[in-house]
Formats: sequence, C-alpha cells, structure tokens
Amino acid sequence: MTKENVQGAGEEEQQAQSKKALKKQQKEAEKAAKKAEKQAKLASEQQEAEEDDFAMDRYGICPMVQSQQKLDRALVRVQDLTPEKAEQQIWVRARIHTSRAKGKQCFLVLRHQQFTVQALLAVGDCASKQMVKFAANLTKESIIDVEAVVKKVEQKIESCSQQDVELHVERIFVISQSEARLPLQLEDAVRPEGEGDEEGRATVNQDTRLDNRVIDLRTTTSQSIFRLQSGVCQLFRDTLINKGFVEIQTPKIISAASEGGANVFTVSYFKTSAYLAQSPQLYKQMCICADFDKVFCVGPVFRAEDSNTHRHLTEFVGLDIEMAFNYHYHEVIDSITDTMVQIFKGLRDRFQTEIQTVNKQYPSEPFKFLEPTLRLEYKEAVAMLRAAGVEMGDEEDLSTPNEKLLGRLVKEKYDTDFYVLDKYPLAVRPFYTMPDPNNPKYSNSYDMFMRGEEILSGAQRVHDAQLLTERAMHHGIDLEKIKAYIDSFRYGAPPHAGGGIGLERVTMLYLGLHNVRQTSMFPRDPKRLTP
Amino acid sequence: ESVFRGTADLDSLLGKDLGALRDIVINANPAHPPLSLLVLHALLCQRYQVLSSVHVHSSVSAVPPPLLSCLGPQHIDSYARQRFQLGFTLIWKDVSKLQMKFNTQSMCPIEGEASVARFLFRLLSAEPQDPVAATQMDCWIDTAVFQLAEGGSKERAAMLRSLNSALGRSPWLLGQEFSLADIVCACCVLRAGQTTSAAANIQRWLKSCQNLCHFDCVNPLLQ
Repeated sequence: MTKENVQGAGEEEQQAQSKKALKKQQKEAEKAAKKAEKQAKLASEQQEAEEDDFAMDRYGICPMVQSQQKLDRALVRVQDLTPEKAEQQIWVRARIHTSRAKGKQCFLVLRHQQFTVQALLAVGDCASKQMVKFAANLTKESIIDVEAVVKKVEQKIESCSQQDVELHVERIFVISQSEARLPLQLEDAVRPEGEGDEEGRATVNQDTRLDNRVIDLRTTTSQSIFRLQSGVCQLFRDTLINKGFVEIQTPKIISAASEGGANVFTVSYFKTSAYLAQSPQLYKQMCICADFDKVFCVGPVFRAEDSNTHRHLTEFVGLDIEMAFNYHYHEVIDSITDTMVQIFKGLRDRFQTEIQTVNKQYPSEPFKFLEPTLRLEYKEAVAMLRAAGVEMGDEEDLSTPNEKLLGRLVKEKYDTDFYVLDKYPLAVRPFYTMPDPNNPKYSNSYDMFMRGEEILSGAQRVHDAQLLTERAMHHGIDLEKIKAYIDSFRYGAPPHAGGGIGLERVTMLYLGLHNVRQTSMFPRDPKRLTP
Repeated sequence: ESVFRGTADLDSLLGKDLGALRDIVINANPAHPPLSLLVLHALLCQRYQVLSSVHVHSSVSAVPPPLLSCLGPQHIDSYARQRFQLGFTLIWKDVSKLQMKFNTQSMCPIEGEASVARFLFRLLSAEPQDPVAATQMDCWIDTAVFQLAEGGSKERAAMLRSLNSALGRSPWLLGQEFSLADIVCACCVLRAGQTTSAAANIQRWLKSCQNLCHFDCVNPLLQ
C-alpha cells in the first residue's frame, strides 16, 4: 500500500466522522422537539384530567390495608364466575394478568390462582376517560379489587379459563401495586417447550424460574403442580389411615447414619457433631418393635450426594411406610402397591383439571397402571434385558439406563407405567435387608418404578438381633454406633417390612415432567440454597 | 383326567429358556370376555405349572367381580414366580380387539380371540397332524367367529344348521377327537345364549363339552 493511499483513507475517515456528527446533531434536535411536544401534551392532558372527572371516586389506589375497617363485602372467586352469575353485580379480588387499552376501552385479564377472566372497562356512564386511562396504566401483577357486572359473552373467550362470561367493570381499586418491571413474564413461563423457538418468542430457563420462584409459582402450571402434589400427600394419608396406620414424627437430627456414612450432612451439635437424617428408617423400625404395627411418616429427608441430575435433591419430602406382617413380606408389598394405586386413581378422578393444565405446557401420555400392581422378579428383569441385548451379571445392580430400558420393555408388554421389581441381589442392598431363604444370593427386597424411574426402595428387615449383627459386620459397620438400633430387636421384634417414597419424584413422574426441581417448591441441590 | 396327552416340551415349542417366567399377556375388553381362552387356560393348567393372574388396566374403571376371579383361585405358590413354567396374565383393558403379547422382542402382538386360541392350543401340542383335519379345524374356528359371534341372524342360523348336521355324523366336530374347533364353537354358541332352543345334536354336544370340566370356568360369566 502507498503513502497516498493511506492519506486518502484518512481524509475519507474525517469526512465520514463529520457526517456522523451532523447526523447526531440533527437527531438530538429532533429528540428535543419531541420531548417538548410530549411535555406539552402531558400538561394539556393533566389539565384535562383536572378539569372534570365525574368518576373520581370510582377508581384509585387504596390506602394500605392495615385492618382499619371490616367491610361487609363478599369477594367472589374468579373460578366461580360462571354463566349462572350473569347480570349480577359482584366484587372480585384478583391480579392484573394483562391489560390492553384500545381507544376508549380497556381490556384486562384478571387472574386468581390458575383461573382467569376477561374484564372490560369502557368510557361511558360509569367510567370516565381518566378512569380508563388509570386502568390501562396499572402495572402487571398488581392486586386489585373490582366491582363489576357479570355478562355472558356470545363468543367463547379462548384465552381465559372462564370462557363464557366477562366482567363489565364499574369500580377499580388497587390493593397492592406491583413494580413495573417483572423479572420474568408469566406468559413466557407457561409457553410450551419448543413452541417459543418456532415463533421466535422467549421461554424462561429453569434457573431464572427458580431464582424468581415466587413469581414462577404464580403460573397456571406451577399452581396445578403443587395443588396436585398436595393431593398426593392427602391421598397417601387418607389411604393409610383407612388401612389402620398410625402417623409418627421422627427426629431429623440423628447420631449415626442409617444407610452408609458417605452421603450424610454433618451438623455441629454443641460440643460434638450430629447428622441430618437420610431416612426415618431406624425410627420407624423402632416403632414397630414398640408395637405400633403399622406406621407412616411424612417429612424432610436429607442426602449429601453431590449429584446434579434431573432427579436428585439434597432435601426432599419422604413418604415412609413400615409395617409388621404375619408370614410373608408380600403382605407389605400388596399394602404399599394398593396405596399407590389408590393415589393414582384419586389423582385421575379428582385432579383432572390440574393434570390437563400441566399437560398444556408439558405434554405427556396419561399415567397407566394395573390393579393389582404387576410384580416381576429381578431374575426376570435381567432375562428381559438380556433378550434386548444388554450384557449384565446376575447379581449386578441395575444402572439408570438399564432401569429406563426395563421400564420401556415392561410398558411394551404390560402397558403399565407402574410396577414392582422383587428379589434384588443381597449384595446391592443395605445391611438390614433380609436374605432370601431359598437363595442366599438374593434378598427379600423390592423397588417400585414409575415411568421407568425408581420411586421406592424397600425390603423385609432383619428383625433378629443376632443376624442383624452378622449382616452389619459383613458390611463393615461400626457396631458401637448402631448399638441402640440393634438392641431394639433383643426384646421380641415382629417380622416387618417397609419402604420410602420421594414425594417430588412421584409428582414429577406421575405428570411426566422431566426435572424434579419442577415439583419441589423451593428446591435444594448441591448448587442451590436460595430462595 | 386330561383330554390331551402329548409330549410337548416348552423349550421346543417356545424356544430356549432364558431364566425368566414365560409370561403370556392377554389384553381383553371386559365387554367381551374371551370364553374360549378361559377354557384353554384350564387345559394349560392341567398340563403345566401355570401362574395365572388377572389385572385391571387403568383404561377401564370398574369390572364385574366374576371377571376378576375368572382364572380361579390363586395358586398357593403364587408368591414365587420362578416356580412356574408358564405365566397367564389376563388384563381387562379398553381394547377394540383382543390382543396377546408374548415375546415382545421377536413377536408382534397377536390380535383376535381365534388367533390367540390357536396359539394356546398349540402349547398343548394336540392339534391334528393330518393337514385335512387341521384345515377343517381352522375352518370351523373361522366360521364360528365370523358367523356365530359377529354375524347377523341369518348367518347364525345357517351356522347352527351346519353344526347340527356335522354333529349328527360324529361326536365331535372333527370326528372322534375333541379339538379346538369344539372349544371355540361351543363357546360361541354358549355366548349367543341359544342353548335351550338349539337343535338336538348341538344340545347333546354342548352337554358333552360341559362334562369335560374345563368349561366350568365359563359358567359364572354367562349369567
């Protein structure tokens, strides 16, 4: 390149710069003009507003509710707004889901829990221009009280849950104002996966959701998930209480790890240290030895496994069952599987709306099951896997991919998403598992699976102190640390078996969701301690 | 006393034993209980150690009690699946056509009660060796299913006439041997509920069928 050329280039650059500067000036001038115009408009509007507003007392921001008065006013729930209420004048408290102003009208979508209704505000006898403007400027997610007349609509409102009616607003007051900027948009958070990509719309990723859990929990999907989860708990309790079980509460701060010492949280406990319970195992067994016969407990369970997978949490809710039986531990399996079937049936019959709401965002096949529940033996599972081309040893534990494959094979043949796998190899189970009397390599233990993933692990327990000591020694466990546990079996202990289920996993797998964090309200994992 | 005596060996009939229970899964609609398969189940139980179980699939809500006990009382050893040679798992399910699933890796599901009946009958290794008799048997089964069970009143009457004349010539449909043809045809006649008005030969033949106690399991389902 020659010198001249370089110079030429420099001049051109200067010229270009001056051009840019000119443009910039022009733009600024335009901006200033616009600003002035805007201010003038605003001023005139303000004037207009001050001029005459006949609807002054029909809208506004309420003083903070500090329980100053007790109004005799019934608030109708959004879900109860049906055509039967047509032409009635009612009060509703709801959030502003969306608002859209269009000339002299303003359309609002009001939301309460997972239900939405359309509300309309139009300039007329009840509402002034200023009132409509006030409504249009309300921030999303603000909580408002609305007095309105319920009107039937001719065309169904597809975007709302209450499709047959709309509200004609006569009064509107803000109870709690939301800040203008939301960390995430609710519409984005309920958009089905994949749909956003096609239309170039945003979806919200898992971490953003969890960081702003309070807002994420307001979505119709989250509302349905956790209402259904509450249903799981209630059905679990109701069924077991009907079967004569007793609910117990066990300590979560314990002195020794129940199943292997590696994955427990250690907490400092005055001058010594303690552990957070991995399961109420030892305590439910002690209750059996104390003649409670059939017990269950619902409570937090802690696992210090540093595994960041879609199905592991460090704290979850355990639903635990322990039961004394007469002669065969299958009595217990039957009792547990029947409880599960009652839960599935209850959800199918009572929570159809919730299931469908979740399905809109996360489509999945309905959960299928058999009654009585299908029970296969471990050997059969190994044979099925081998027939499908998997190489594995007789006493090898099932790997997660094999578990899933087995789930698919079982579904193909029996068309069930729920089954029991019985008679696990003794070597892969904890020390308190009862060996199989016919084959010492196997044990009286079982796992239960939903959609190919393990939800329950259980077994007949050793109720004989001597055999228990032997098994503990075989597993290299310090006998001193579990002395109290072994001693509980010395004074007459009934044969018993049990198992524990993870509430979050059951909800996740029943709904066919992909991440256990979706079914944990405030999930805890190795990387998350907040909110 | 068993009607069928063969020397069938499940290994030779169904392939190598892989260490798992050979479980035959049958999906049937509770609106149309497969009577002939219940008779065959009774025959299989005489010959093999059969682990029988009845399940209700979540696609149907309620099933009448007789359907739940149609495979008889549970075997006393039913807690140990490995002790059995054959599994017979009947699932009441919302299916439009009866369906059998056996070796899902290498077999497609088999549809239709008649096809499943043929498969089960073969496990007794009692099908006629003579090709003519075997074809006759297939023929009776087909006409029973298409004309008796699914046909109109004219077709049904024609079928009953030909049954009656065949049974005038010999005690069973294929001659001196009781066969699958008798099982399927008898079940279809019983199902149609025309037993009392049926012609004399048919009545006599139904009596003989019911004298073989394999038909006992069908009675509770006919009321």
